[in-house]
Amino acid sequence: MAGLTLNHLYKRYDNSGKKKKIKNDFAVKDLNLVCEQGEFVALLGPSGCGKTTTLRMIAGLEEITDGEIYIGERLVNNLHPKDRNIGLAFEDYAMYPPLNVYGNVAFNLRAKGVDKAEIDRKVREIAPLMQIDDLLDKMPVKLSGGQKQRVNIARAIIREPELLLMDEPLSHLDGKARQAMRTEIKRLINKIKCTTVYVTHDQLEAMSLADKIAIINFGVLQQFGTPTEVYDDPANEFVASFIGEPPMNILETKIINKDGTFFFTFSESNLQIAVPKRYYDVVEDGFRCKMGVRPMDVLVGGEDSQGTPEEIATFENLGDERRIGIHVGDVLMMLITEDEKRYKRGDIIKLEVRGEKTHLFNIETGERIREN
Amino acid sequence: MKDNKQKALNIVMNILLIIYAVFALFPLLWMILISFKSDTEVFSTTFLFHPTLANYQEVLLRSDYASYIIDSVIVSGGAVLVSIIVGVPAAYALARYQFPRKEDLAFQILSYKFAPEILVVLPLFMIYQKIGLYDSYVGLIWVYQLISLPLLIWVVRGYFEDISVEIEYAAQVDGYSWYQIFFKMLVPLIKPGLVSSALLAFIFAWNSFTFPLILSSNKVYPVTVAIMKYLGTDSAHYGQLAVASTVSALPAVIFALCIQKHLVRGLSFGAVKG
Amino acid sequence: MARIELENIKKAFGKVQALDGVTFEVKDKEFFVLFGPAGAGKTTILNCIAGIAMPEEGVVKFDGEVMNLTDPAHRNVAMVFENYALYPQMTVYDNMASALRSKLYKTDEAEIKERIQRAAKIMKMENLLERLPSQLSNGQKQRVAMGRALVRTPNVFLMDEPLAHLDAKLRNSMRTELKEMQANLGTTCIYVTHDFMEAMALGDRIAIIKEGKIVQIGTSDEIYYMPCNEFTASLMGDPEINIIEAEISGSADEYTADIRVNGDTVTVPLPKDGAVYEKIDDMGLKRAHLGIRPQNVKYAFEPTDGYFKTTVYSYESIGNKSVIVAECGAYQIRMIAPNGLNVAIDSDVYIRLETDHAIFFDSETKKYIVRYDEATYVALAASEMEE
Repeated sequence: MAGLTLNHLYKRYDNSGKKKKIKNDFAVKDLNLVCEQGEFVALLGPSGCGKTTTLRMIAGLEEITDGEIYIGERLVNNLHPKDRNIGLAFEDYAMYPPLNVYGNVAFNLRAKGVDKAEIDRKVREIAPLMQIDDLLDKMPVKLSGGQKQRVNIARAIIREPELLLMDEPLSHLDGKARQAMRTEIKRLINKIKCTTVYVTHDQLEAMSLADKIAIINFGVLQQFGTPTEVYDDPANEFVASFIGEPPMNILETKIINKDGTFFFTFSESNLQIAVPKRYYDVVEDGFRCKMGVRPMDVLVGGEDSQGTPEEIATFENLGDERRIGIHVGDVLMMLITEDEKRYKRGDIIKLEVRGEKTHLFNIETGERIREN
Repeated sequence: MKDNKQKALNIVMNILLIIYAVFALFPLLWMILISFKSDTEVFSTTFLFHPTLANYQEVLLRSDYASYIIDSVIVSGGAVLVSIIVGVPAAYALARYQFPRKEDLAFQILSYKFAPEILVVLPLFMIYQKIGLYDSYVGLIWVYQLISLPLLIWVVRGYFEDISVEIEYAAQVDGYSWYQIFFKMLVPLIKPGLVSSALLAFIFAWNSFTFPLILSSNKVYPVTVAIMKYLGTDSAHYGQLAVASTVSALPAVIFALCIQKHLVRGLSFGAVKG
Repeated sequence: MARIELENIKKAFGKVQALDGVTFEVKDKEFFVLFGPAGAGKTTILNCIAGIAMPEEGVVKFDGEVMNLTDPAHRNVAMVFENYALYPQMTVYDNMASALRSKLYKTDEAEIKERIQRAAKIMKMENLLERLPSQLSNGQKQRVAMGRALVRTPNVFLMDEPLAHLDAKLRNSMRTELKEMQANLGTTCIYVTHDFMEAMALGDRIAIIKEGKIVQIGTSDEIYYMPCNEFTASLMGDPEINIIEAEISGSADEYTADIRVNGDTVTVPLPKDGAVYEKIDDMGLKRAHLGIRPQNVKYAFEPTDGYFKTTVYSYESIGNKSVIVAECGAYQIRMIAPNGLNVAIDSDVYIRLETDHAIFFDSETKKYIVRYDEATYVALAASEMEE
């Protein structure tokens, strides 16, 4: 059963009052998304891409221009937010300052007129889950960022919502607190098995938390899939460069035919990479496109390697791994190695690229070029 | 549907604003009208009268009115100048340095503005008499600091606080001396606040009445007090009074109109954030 | 270009001792990184070198010359501030020209123009020169701040967290760019950061600062492989190093370590290694903290010989790889795994610690004792120093 269905969802801001007509005035454009019951879905994209607008439309805080939103089987287009049976956890903590943590968590149930004993039972049940049991008597001002966020989430889930919506809940936390909280959210959602929509601009957060990621850019859905799918099989150049750190190397290339074997070639570089056989049907001599390859799939060849000799432009020893940058034309191609060898700028290495791991993108549209 | 509602609302709002504007501007208008009336017509409440320039001739040409204006300019301008010279460094110190009881001091400076003038003016009168500041430019300029200095310090301090201290460090590291930094980097950044608060202080000083009334007599005669002259013990020349008032209000009105935009932006802190 | 020395610098703000006897020497043309958590006193050190802050005690020397009483303008340092500190009323060009137009560093306009254009090219900001700072994004402001320093020929570049306000991706790519630029810098550089990747990647040497004190100074390999205590070890590497309490037993022929896992005792071998065994013998070591990096923990999902059983606390991607966190009762063990495994939370996992990569810390003082293959890493660090 679907937990949430978005059907041809549009959001258009009314710019008629403004003198200058904005060209692309759709904040969200023809968005179709089906989240299964209990699934954790991340809406991922750069700031201003429409992900928060989408979330606000689902919550009922924003009018929709066109399309349908179903929570479970219910069409909720015209329902007031409070009738949608959703839990909200936002970026800013927005707690009621005069109430202590207990009061904040219980607030919603009290407003609904649930009886006291029942409220108490529920708060006591949820507190250990969110590890706020020893904070219940504290006032919001006394809490750290991580604690506030836990209370915030507790408040959202206490009414046992059908759908949990979170908007960048970790963006106020830094470094290790953020990492720890990420793990906790993941474990919690796993426990309560509530359908969750999570908005973030941090690809790492989306990759580590979500069952499925919807990548949005300029209000348009780019790809919807599991973290592995979007990482290994990106739909276009945008997704490929947005997911992964360091990002995928994407280089403009001209394919040449050398005695029946196709090679990627690059301007101002003698690097040549064999085109995987599976692409032979779609390429031809002189074919121009973009080639993408992840830094993990570029290797330093050994002594007897057939790889192209290249000069190291940057070498970064990061302890756990080492990153090497090589100039291919005016693009710095990154590769990651975990071997212990130390290099320095100017060293020559034999560069090997796992040809079978390369992706092709249309040079103009950025769309993936797939094998037939 | 929505648009009509919006339009109706707009019309109502505009009408209310017009009513208020008429209400607020009427005294000014009436004053200007009186200035063109002869003494016999002053008390007629109709708008029909025989306009005359006699009052203007009397006040501007046949009395010392010009010297009163000059006195006002000297005293108000001098007060603002002193406030700038003293206030800007003071504001800088309050914004940048940490010293004991800093906030108390800052609040005390501001509190000068709270005290009713009439409350302090009598003791001041006695002191001024004793030390010879009575009826002197210096004396009035000094006492006007109560009006102009707190305003200037508080506005400019806010501006200094908005400039991150690293900008000064950066300029130091760039090889500039403190004075160069102050005049080249900081003054341009506080300029909107400085200009608007200085003009506002000038207007307040110009309009000040109590201080010059009591602390000056013959030698220094600002317009606000001079206007009183036209209210003689036996007769009241309302027409001349109106002329004097109108002319004395002009600088304030002109300034206010010139700096209107500046004033609103300049007095709301944080306008310089880079 | 100068050699910078700090001797026993002390500085307090009110009751807080910001710097407590900081001593180090930065060689000419060295890229020296000050690394530590927020509030450790890194920026204060920079300010003392720049002359913006006055130390209460201690000496700052440039090329052997005491600079304590020299004002910032005359020290000839170029500084990049964390909040960029661009002059808001000036265009990017004028910002960059600022130092060269001061009385002290007066340069003729043609020369200024040439230098700005060169710096703008390096920083890839040629198209920004006419803009005002308020029209720039954070990343662009950061470039301008760097550019403003680069046009000068100072004794030393001081950089205070120049990448801190950028988002993770931009930060990483800017770091790589900085690394590429480094060779052209040709000037002593002191760089403050709280990001271990920046510290490791950029620093010829790194000084670790904690609560106003220098904890360790060394090359990135030295600090990564031979951290002087658990604090330093935990700062370097993501995910963090595993610190596991172990009871050591056995004899000079063969030692083993007992660790507690969910209430049970698990014995793991301590393979023979000259230096390690010697230390255990000499100190009569009965108890130690073993530091094992997450990449040195192996996992299996079936019972496997030499592996012990725990449960999965979490499984998360950290980009190109993932981390499995295993629950061990009082502590957790982090390990590296590939992306895309099908690992359920709270399911069983079998793990093996590669103890032959372990670092030994004193269980009381948390200080470094010894590590496996110590000689190899000492040699590696030494070879780095020579460069």
